[in-house]
Amino acid sequence: MVGMACAETHRTMPIIETRDLRKVFRSLVRQPGVAGALRTLFSRHYEDKVAVQGITMSLDAGELVGYIGPNGAGKSTTIKMLTGILVPTSGMVRVAGLVPYEQRRRNARTIGVVFGQRSQLYWDLPLIESFELLRAIYGIPRERYRANLEHFTETLEMGPFLNTPVRQLSLGQRMRGDFAGAMLHDPQVVFLDEPTIGLDVVAKEAIRTFVARVNQERGTTFILTTHDLADVERLCRRIVLIDHGTLVYDGEIEALRDRYGTHRTLVVTFFDEEPEIRIEGAELESREGRVARLRFDRRTVSAEMLIRRVADRYRVIDVSIEEPELESIIRRIYLEGYTVA
Amino acid sequence: MSAELRLGPSFARSLGDLAAPYVAFAAKAFAREATYRMEVFTNLGSLFVRLYLMKAVWSALYAQNALPPSGIPLHSVLTYTCLALLMSLVLEIDGTRSIREKIREGTIATDLMKPISLPLYFFSDGAGMTMLHALLIVPALILSLTLVHIDVPPPAVLAAFGLSFLLGYLVNFTLNFLMNCSAFWTLEGFAVQLMVRWVSDLLSGQIVPLIFFPGLLQSIVLALPFAAIYSTPLLIYVGTIPPQNYARALALQVVWLVVFSVLSALVWRAAQRRVVVQGG
Repeated sequence: MVGMACAETHRTMPIIETRDLRKVFRSLVRQPGVAGALRTLFSRHYEDKVAVQGITMSLDAGELVGYIGPNGAGKSTTIKMLTGILVPTSGMVRVAGLVPYEQRRRNARTIGVVFGQRSQLYWDLPLIESFELLRAIYGIPRERYRANLEHFTETLEMGPFLNTPVRQLSLGQRMRGDFAGAMLHDPQVVFLDEPTIGLDVVAKEAIRTFVARVNQERGTTFILTTHDLADVERLCRRIVLIDHGTLVYDGEIEALRDRYGTHRTLVVTFFDEEPEIRIEGAELESREGRVARLRFDRRTVSAEMLIRRVADRYRVIDVSIEEPELESIIRRIYLEGYTVA
Repeated sequence: MSAELRLGPSFARSLGDLAAPYVAFAAKAFAREATYRMEVFTNLGSLFVRLYLMKAVWSALYAQNALPPSGIPLHSVLTYTCLALLMSLVLEIDGTRSIREKIREGTIATDLMKPISLPLYFFSDGAGMTMLHALLIVPALILSLTLVHIDVPPPAVLAAFGLSFLLGYLVNFTLNFLMNCSAFWTLEGFAVQLMVRWVSDLLSGQIVPLIFFPGLLQSIVLALPFAAIYSTPLLIYVGTIPPQNYARALALQVVWLVVFSVLSALVWRAAQRRVVVQGG
């Protein structure tokens, strides 16, 4: 495996640890047609589908890690094993010192889960009553409950809809409710599964700010599974990338950028409509009116040098530098695989 | 970990904590049921109509026969029928029905991420619903008294009836639980459920007292677990089961309860395994 260095430099006990974690689903092979269906009844032909094959990773308390992979990569299977509702086929898994599938209920007390696509609140009840129920479920001491509820109501601005039945809430309100619900019992680890899916920009930002804040103030460990890489860029320093059930990359996002983001784009707005733009060390990617996009390799030419060359030759109103998006980097890794530099 | 320590300073305290979620589930289910007011009234209406029909049928049957069948007089049959209807207000509540929905919609996984026992959750949810519907017994009883006369036995018999009713309720719960757990293996369990329901209605003695079944069939039907739900408490009430036979009757109910509880535990273990091994 690659990129484990940053986890190993810490000396504290990891809060989440997996070693060679594997999960193989076995299903009966079904044959088509009526005769096939009858044959299936007596058949002992099984098909093995490897969902997760040998994932080793380690998270320290207080980390906020993006767990990324395409659909079917084994993300939710891993999360299910970490939450104790799926037994691994082999390998080791430990969350806050517990083996989740052996101690499901104890593990449930130390974790919180937020699903963007599935509310854990009680549909028929006012939001506040869902919280009350969660207080009973987790046995949260009253003082602690009151303090947390007050805090979350304020930071998530839930005051106006605390007494509204969950089914009448907007998606943004419901998600805020779900976040508060998942955090009321002071979990050490919180799993976020597509937490901003379907939300508008403002609601997304509110959720991201909340996560960053809880992570900083309470030292809560977060594992963020999402297809919205803006979430990851905004929140995580470290990402774990998996594909086809194997770990492809584990390390800092910056390192990934350094490795893959060798090219930058210099966006220049000229004073005049320049008929011809030619700058040494950069290639013209596109131009639109007086705005031109110049792509350059930052290993061969520095941005400063390039800007000087542009300014020497043309009259310039504005310049900016664009980094490649994480998304395009990750797309490249899925296509080409990760290679060690 | 520290939370764990904070939660259980003393045994009594932690026992209270253990029970708290289930009490809360029952309370929420009670409140939820109370919001469906229309259903409550239609329930009462349908009960009244059914009782009226039953009275007409039994009275006509008894008028045709010179000798009462099985030696049970008309007023006992009417008492039996009326009480069976009142009991159905409570016994027809199936708290475990939500197992089906949870499996179909996949929410069973999120429930398993909570530090609770799901069978106990279903039980307390059902108990909460039951509690609300039990309140209906009072107006239903008053309504029924306008149609039929209900015999009132001595307190000792009433007590035995109460105990037997409670056992019947528990047997009914485990039976429903087992039936609904079939959804873990087959998603098309509704037809099965309906059939079991009908058979159970007939064989439990809810519609016709089981003592009207002829000879051998009667012995078989009385020995079946369904009889533990309606028949045993009701036959105690109307006196067909005399006090000297209480111990035997109640013991049989307990046996069924134990058998079904053990079976439920086994089935639940297998179901949970299925979820945790195959991912639901």
